[in-house]
Amino acid sequence: MQPVNLFDLATRQSQWLAVRQSAIASNIANANTPGYTANDVEPFEKVLDRTAVTLAATQAGHLGAEKANAGFNVKPKEATGSIMPSKNTVVLEDELMKAGEVRRSFELNTAIVKAFHSMMTMVVKS
Amino acid sequence: MDALTAALKVAASGLGAQSERLRVVSENLANAQSTGNTPGADPYRRKTITFQSELDRTSGGSLVEVSSIARDPSDFPIEFQPGNEAADEKGYVKMPNVNALVEMADMSEANRSYEANLQVIKQARDLISMTIDLMRNQQ
Repeated sequence: MQPVNLFDLATRQSQWLAVRQSAIASNIANANTPGYTANDVEPFEKVLDRTAVTLAATQAGHLGAEKANAGFNVKPKEATGSIMPSKNTVVLEDELMKAGEVRRSFELNTAIVKAFHSMMTMVVKS
Repeated sequence: MDALTAALKVAASGLGAQSERLRVVSENLANAQSTGNTPGADPYRRKTITFQSELDRTSGGSLVEVSSIARDPSDFPIEFQPGNEAADEKGYVKMPNVNALVEMADMSEANRSYEANLQVIKQARDLISMTIDLMRNQQ
């Protein structure tokens, strides 16, 4: 039987969105910090492409077990537009735009999961 | 710690830093006319605030914190006020090196950053409640 893959995918995307939201929060909080470079998460397509085998971490001491951002690469992004004299590369408007994107994607994600869940409940009840 | 809680924590640190900045601005504005009280004494010296980012090891986010509140070393403007108790023998008084326009600009920038951080908190909260709503009202 074909396993239901959607929940796995939706979970992964919502984790990615949460990590992105926290990257945005870091950028906005540090919008006035001298020398801070803005970070962003790698695109979700890249996360899907990269199906590398990771070591299973079954104990707190294992490699990668303490990774907080669930295996998504948070990298400094190249500066767009002008850089402040303080070498801060955060553009507040860009960050708010990204926050809007995250919100829309998250709404879509939860709506799909909800619909799928209600379908499954329908099957079980009937 | 999950990423959304980390986002909340980071944004809260931003709120704290920006309100500290607003406090410094208000100190500067309130003391914009505070001269010394002995002849030739130095008046109030303008304060400046700088931030630094600090990696939060439990969440991986970059918190922001106040790195230092320093004094502005620029020169004091001099005004002729012979009646003032801080006037020197020629009647000149050193006034604080506070420029009200600069302080107002700083204040509105702090305001804007505070609003942006609040927006992040609102949104992180909404995302969390959207996730919780998945378990709610499934008839």
